[in-house]
Formats: sequence, structure tokens, C-alpha cells
Amino acid sequence: MDFAYILDALPDLMTGLKMTLIVSFLAIVLSCLIGLLGAVLRTGGIKPLQYAVTAYVEFIRGTPYLVQIFFIFYGLPSLGLRFSIFWSGVIALTAWASAFQIENFRAGLAAVGRGMHDASASLGLKRWQHSIFIILPLATRAALPSAMNTIVATVKNSAYLQAIGLVELTFVAVDRIAYDFRAIEMFASICVIYLICVFTISGFGYMVERRLSRPFGGR
Amino acid sequence: MLLLEFQSFLLDGLLNTLFLSSVMIAGGTFFAVIFAAGLSAQSAWLRGPVYGLVECLRDIPLMVTVLMVYFVLPHAGLSFNPFWSSALSVSVWGGANGAHIIRAGLLSVPSGQREAALSSGLRGWKGLFLVIVPQAMPVILPPYVSLVTSLTQASSLGAVLGVNELLRSAQILIEQTTIARGGSPAYLVYGSILVVYFALCWSISALGAKLERHFAKPYQRTNGKTGLARPAVALQISTT
Repeated sequence: MDFAYILDALPDLMTGLKMTLIVSFLAIVLSCLIGLLGAVLRTGGIKPLQYAVTAYVEFIRGTPYLVQIFFIFYGLPSLGLRFSIFWSGVIALTAWASAFQIENFRAGLAAVGRGMHDASASLGLKRWQHSIFIILPLATRAALPSAMNTIVATVKNSAYLQAIGLVELTFVAVDRIAYDFRAIEMFASICVIYLICVFTISGFGYMVERRLSRPFGGR
Repeated sequence: MLLLEFQSFLLDGLLNTLFLSSVMIAGGTFFAVIFAAGLSAQSAWLRGPVYGLVECLRDIPLMVTVLMVYFVLPHAGLSFNPFWSSALSVSVWGGANGAHIIRAGLLSVPSGQREAALSSGLRGWKGLFLVIVPQAMPVILPPYVSLVTSLTQASSLGAVLGVNELLRSAQILIEQTTIARGGSPAYLVYGSILVVYFALCWSISALGAKLERHFAKPYQRTNGKTGLARPAVALQISTT
């Protein structure tokens, strides 16, 4: 293990890490929003929309992520939708993560009991107040552990985007290996970097979970 | 039509995908059993390192594991061709995910069952396979089936290393026709193999559901508690 070499490669790896984090961040934010929307649509009672969302979730979960990426990057341009590598990456990652977030939030919504509905009706809350102040916090709390898992998986799965040439962490490492043949050093460093990212995010998630799992109200 | 024209070429790819996924599923199961045994070992000196290894494998992106095995193992004097290299890396990854599934399943069987097995003279392996494992199956199977579909999907990672499986065949087909005829048929080819993969994974899930029903049956009748314990949220595996 040549630490001087790792130190030398560190600036490159950091630019790669920055790209990984930017793409993941965009995908996480978008997929959580889509996930929430999709979960609401899936439980909303409008049949065609329900079927559409279910079909989307099943299709994404039933097909390899790598093929989805290739379809979006190489396939969509011939249908007239041309995106840069960066946006193809964001779209592919978001499309994948959304399917899982929809499931997570759907489970979260399902965990909120019917009793809440009657309770807020008896307090005279309007429908939108009930949805936003009662259902949303409770559902988010219930969905948080699995949503956190998906968020971590989103960061990990950004590594797949090296296959279409997005210059993120894994791409930088493989690119340098092609020149210098220092496979052990490069993989050791990106493994450590990925582990740090994963542990930081799951640690943060655990903190939020602990804070939110205190009962609401009375002390 | 392009797909029909190169039917046998794509079919070869599909057969390779099926073979590669079978190897990955078998290898994944093998490593899962070994890791699960390591995780429930008596000695902390064995349990600690296995736990660390399993956690690392679960937390490092699968793409990185696949590339790492391919690039790093030759430095240790172990050279595999792309097929076996991808098979090994995905198997080990599947083993790490499967180990927790198996362990959780075995732990879900109440300890009284183990004691009952012992008191009926079923020691060690006999007790494990005749008493504990059948009862753990309803808990193990649902996440395990989803792991199997994940492994099938992960076989597409072979294309990154250049294994001639379905995705690689599609890439070659697209490259060749783009050069020869102009105009990329990418959306058609990738779209159709998406459908093929979906059909494959769907069949695996359907088969798994059948198996689940089989294992859920006898316990359901006598005692709902042991037979139908299921994890509340389906285990999520990061690739797919």
C-alpha cells in the first residue's frame, strides 16, 4: 500500500466525491418528493392512477438498474429526449429511488390508523389540516427507517453511473487505475470513502429516528 | 424487425444470463450459509471479523465490489475471467445480504423449539434441519426470494466486465447496427431487454410465492403464531 500515491490522488478523488454527493443529493430530494406524491396517489382511491403508480414501482423493481441507466442515456435520445450525462444520471437515480420511496411512504401512510381521522374530525380540523398536520408527521415518522435505507442505497447506487461515464468517485478510481495500475490503493481509498459516507448518513438517520420516536405531545 | 433478425444472438445472451444468474444464486446461497454460521458462532474471535466483513460488503456499492474483485485479485495472484470474477463478487455480496436473512429467520424460531428438539433426542444438525429450519422458512423465504431476483438483476453487471450476457449482447447489437445502418436502435433493444428481465424476475417472484405458500401451510392450521411471523417491511436490497 503506497500512501504517498493515495495522497497524490486525493484531489482527484475529492472532485469525484463531490460529483457523487451532488448527484445523490439531487436524486434523494427528488425521489423523496416523488415518493410522497406517488404514495398519496397510490392510496388516493383514483383507480387508473393507482394502477399506473403500482405498475411503475413493479417495473423499476423488476428490472436491472444498469439496464435502466442505459435505456435512459442511450435509448431516450432516439425518441427525441436528449439529456447530458449528468442529468441522465440524476434522472436514472431518481427513477430508481422513487420506486422504493413510494413503497416506503405507502407503508408509512398505511401505518397511520383510521382512528386519527375520527379524532381530527372531532377536533374540527379541515381535511387539508388533517392531512398536513396529522397524517404527514405520523406517516413520515413511520416511514423514516426504510426511507433512510433507500437514501443510503441511493448514494451507493450512484456508483453505477460510472457506466455511462459520469465522473464520480468510482469513475475517477477506475480511470486512474487505467493509467497507473494502482488498483489496491485506489479501491482501498474509495471503499473507505464510501463507508464513511454510508456511516455518516445512517448515523444521522439514526439520530433523527431517535428524536422523532419520542411520543408526540404530553411529557 | 431487428430483434427477430438477431434472435439467436440475443438468445445466446439470455442463456448466458440464465447460467450466470444460476451460478450467482448458488454461490450467494453458499456464502450466505457460511456467513450466517460465522455470525452465530460461539467464539467472538470468529463472530467479530465475519460481522465486519458482512457489514463492509453490504455498505460498499455492488458496482465497486465487482470492479474491485476484477482489478485487485490479479494482484494477489488470482486471475479469473470476467465471467467467474463477476460471479464471485456478486455471490459474496449476495452472501452478505443473505446471511442476515438466514440469521433473522433462525432467530425467529422460539428457543423452546430447540429445547423440544433436544429433549426428543434431535441433536445438532438433525435438530436444526428437522425442527428449526422448516419453521424458519416462512420468515426466510420472502426476503430471500427478493434477494434471488436482485441477484438475477445483478447478473447484468457482468456486462461492465465484458461477460457476454444479455445486456452485453444488446450493447454489441446496438453498436454494430449503428455502424452498419446508421440510426441507433438503442431504445428498442434496451426497452425489449428491460421487458425480458422483468418477465424473468416476475417468474422468480411467482415461483417464490408458491414456495412460500407451501411452507406457510401446515403451521397456519395448528398455530398461527409460529407459521406466519413476517418482517413488517420487506427487506430492501440496494441494487436491483
